[in-house]
Amino acid sequence: MTDCCPRCAHESVSTLYSSPVPGVWDVVQCARCLYTWRTSEPDRRTRRAAYPQAFRLTEEDLANAAEVPAVPPLRTDGPPAAARGPELS
Amino acid sequence: MAYDDLRGFLSTLEKEGQLLRITEEVLPEPDLAAAANAAGRIGEGAPALWFDNVKGFTDARIALNVHGSWANHALALGLPKHTPVKEQVEEFARRWDAFPVAPERREDAPWRENTQEGDDVDLFSVLPLFRLNDGDGGFYLDKAAVVSRDPDDPGHFGKQNVGTYRLQVIGKNRLAIQPVPVHDIALHLRAAEEKGEDLPIAITLGNDPVMAIVAGMPMGYDQSEYEMAGALRGAPAPIATAPLTGFDVPWGSEVVIEGVIESRKRQIEGPFGEFTGHYSGGRRMPVVRIDRVSYRTNPVFESLYLGMPWTECDYLVGPNTCVPLLKQLRAEFPEVQAVNAMYTHGLLAVISTRKRYGGFAKAVAMRAMTTPHGLGYITTVIVVDEDVDPFDLPQVMWAMSSKVNPADDVVVLPNLSVVELAPAAQPAGLTSKMIIDATTPVHPDTRGNFSTPTKDLPEAKDWAARLQRLLSEARG
Repeated sequence: MTDCCPRCAHESVSTLYSSPVPGVWDVVQCARCLYTWRTSEPDRRTRRAAYPQAFRLTEEDLANAAEVPAVPPLRTDGPPAAARGPELS
Repeated sequence: MAYDDLRGFLSTLEKEGQLLRITEEVLPEPDLAAAANAAGRIGEGAPALWFDNVKGFTDARIALNVHGSWANHALALGLPKHTPVKEQVEEFARRWDAFPVAPERREDAPWRENTQEGDDVDLFSVLPLFRLNDGDGGFYLDKAAVVSRDPDDPGHFGKQNVGTYRLQVIGKNRLAIQPVPVHDIALHLRAAEEKGEDLPIAITLGNDPVMAIVAGMPMGYDQSEYEMAGALRGAPAPIATAPLTGFDVPWGSEVVIEGVIESRKRQIEGPFGEFTGHYSGGRRMPVVRIDRVSYRTNPVFESLYLGMPWTECDYLVGPNTCVPLLKQLRAEFPEVQAVNAMYTHGLLAVISTRKRYGGFAKAVAMRAMTTPHGLGYITTVIVVDEDVDPFDLPQVMWAMSSKVNPADDVVVLPNLSVVELAPAAQPAGLTSKMIIDATTPVHPDTRGNFSTPTKDLPEAKDWAARLQRLLSEARG
């Protein structure tokens, strides 16, 4: 069982779900970056020391993450939303 | 033959030798995704994969790679499994002309058999969720048909959208959703958030094979995916009313998840290995609260592996990207013969056309870039003559190698729109775009030495048939 988040090293992680066959695996989630993993996955996904640098997140990364899509300004009156062109499904 | 649900299609795939049951025990990770990844690496005619013996689960049924070969795509459309891809696209285009076909409402949806509501909702107990790629932030629902309505016009059937958007499971009753700004659901969400309201949503999983195709199809904002499904199936699409939202959802879904996108909230999402062959994510995205789950007894969890192309995703959105572009271009330029936009959901397109006059091919290319799908995707257009088959890449390379004088035939247009996921964009959402005009110049464009092209000999067609007959006889 990992005791910190493999991705952001946050120490608060909790069990989301346990295997229907008792004791085989747990699904664990980081309270900060929401990284979710199954304890039976390879070390490269479950162990901080083996977790790839390219996918690691820092507190700063999380604080600076872009909003997609951006929250629009609240509309207080009448006119409809932005003009709608043809769009994709 | 029209399939009303996923199970009916899986049964046909099995009869046709296009579904492989893996009976030995596998690990949820990395085996499920690795097998689906490998299906795209074993050559033509890869089968769908079925797993029901997954370590730690007692009751898992998982279908992967359901659309993951041209054989399976043909069967999804009710065509013989050996139908060549160009013929599949042509048949797709022919059926499009029947649009709109009104859906058929049914009341006895099998997903009414089981329900979880409110605090009892636990997606993990309904679906055997698993990770796809190493760097994914979690477990995803990536082949759902997601239904939402225009908050300013909720009664408009056509504006009700059915689309496929990636959904990360971030809790037993919570999902993060990626509504790409150029997609319909982002318009619905924006309208709701401007009013400070939640956006109701119905997420349907495990659908008939044509629903999966239309949900990923670039259609007009007020065109109904259900009416397009009817055209492509050759029979009305069966729909039912979702109990919580009242939305129209596929009658045959395995699972119907209902809830809301919570207004004006964003939470960290991803990354997720995307159709571009690159990860995207680590961004703050909208959040879905699940209020009700309806599901068939013994639900089948359908998922899709995507990564470095080609994967199932490329088969699924190949023809359904080509055909809308073909129809939209032909509406103004009947000279257009065929469109192959199967590369990375149409980030690149090859178009064959007759030329009205010099410069015409470049105009066709620019129009392709300004179609609804082109605005967000088409970044490179290769235009070829009418006698070059855009699906025959050696022919396309011949046209590029022999017809192109780069100084005049390559045009680069700066700072145009593209989906933020496009890895080469700079900044995200903005890119230059390129036209490669590989057509033969026509009057008044007199460049080059193209007056005496070699053509296949008039007798070659008969000889081709003769050679095939002789070869077949020789092989007994």
